[in-house]
Amino acid sequence: MTTVAGAELREMPTKSWPGQPDMWFFVLFETLLFTGYFSVYLVSRTQNHDLYLQSQSDLDLRIGVFNTIALLLSSWAIARCVQAAREGAYRSALTNAYLTIAFGLVFLISKVIEWVKEIQMGNTFTSDEFFSHYFFLTSIHCIHVLIGFVVLGVVVYQLWSPVRRSQQLVETCATYWHTVDFLWVLIFALLYVVR
Amino acid sequence: MSTSSKRLLIVWLILTSMTLVYVWLDHTADQNGMLKASTVVTVGAIVIALIKVRIIFREFMEVRHAPVLLRRLTDGWVVLIAVCLLGSYFVGSAVSG
Repeated sequence: MTTVAGAELREMPTKSWPGQPDMWFFVLFETLLFTGYFSVYLVSRTQNHDLYLQSQSDLDLRIGVFNTIALLLSSWAIARCVQAAREGAYRSALTNAYLTIAFGLVFLISKVIEWVKEIQMGNTFTSDEFFSHYFFLTSIHCIHVLIGFVVLGVVVYQLWSPVRRSQQLVETCATYWHTVDFLWVLIFALLYVVR
Repeated sequence: MSTSSKRLLIVWLILTSMTLVYVWLDHTADQNGMLKASTVVTVGAIVIALIKVRIIFREFMEVRHAPVLLRRLTDGWVVLIAVCLLGSYFVGSAVSG
C-alpha cells in the first residue's frame, strides 16, 4: 500500500496496517498520556464534587454537542477522502480533504467563541480547579487540532499532484485526524456530561 | 453511493445519535437547572464515549480490516481507558467517602 495510482491502490487494505505503524504507536502513546490526565481529573472531581458541579453548570452542553458533531463530520470526511483516494477518485478525495479542514475550522472557531464566553463570565484558567482542567484539556486538544491542519495540508499537497500521491501517507494523516476526533469524544464526555 | 460510502454514512449517523443521547442523559441528571452528582450518568457518559471511540477505531480508522495485532491492540486500549477512567472515579469516590 505504499505506491500511487496503481491497481493495488484500489484494493481494500485487508490485513495491512492503515497508514504507517509509527503513527499508530504515536496515537496509542498520546491516548495513554491523555488517559493519565483524565484519571487525575476524575479523582480530583470526586474529592470536590460540589465545586465541580457548580462550575460545570457554566458550560453550555449545546456548544459541546455542536463541537462533537463538527469533529465527527470532519472524521467522516477524511474517511471518505481515504476511500476515494484508494479508488483513484482524486478529485473527490481532494474535496473531502477540504471538507475535513472546513469542519475542523468550524470546531476551532466555536471553541474560541466558547472560551471568550467563559472568560467574559469570569471563568478563567485560575478561577478554580474545574476551569483549570477545562482550559488545559481544551487548549491541549486545540494544539492537536492545529497540528492536524498541518497534517491535512500534507494530504492536500499529496493529492494535488499525480507524482506525489501516496495512499499510505494519506492513511497515516487520516489516522492522526481521527485521533484528534476520538480524544475530543472523551474530553467532551468528561468535561460536559459526567456528574 | 457505493456500499463502503453508505457504511461510513451509517457510522457517522450512529456516532451523532450517540452524541445526542448525552443531551437526554444531561437532562435526567439535573433538577431545576441545578447539576446533581450521579454515578449512573458518569458511568453512562464514559461507557458511551468508549463505545464511540471503538467505533471510530474500527470503522473510520479501518482497524476492522487491519491485522489481528492492531485489532487486539486497539481493543486492549479501549479496555485500558475504561479501567483507568472508571477505576479513578470509583476509587476517588470511595476515598472521599
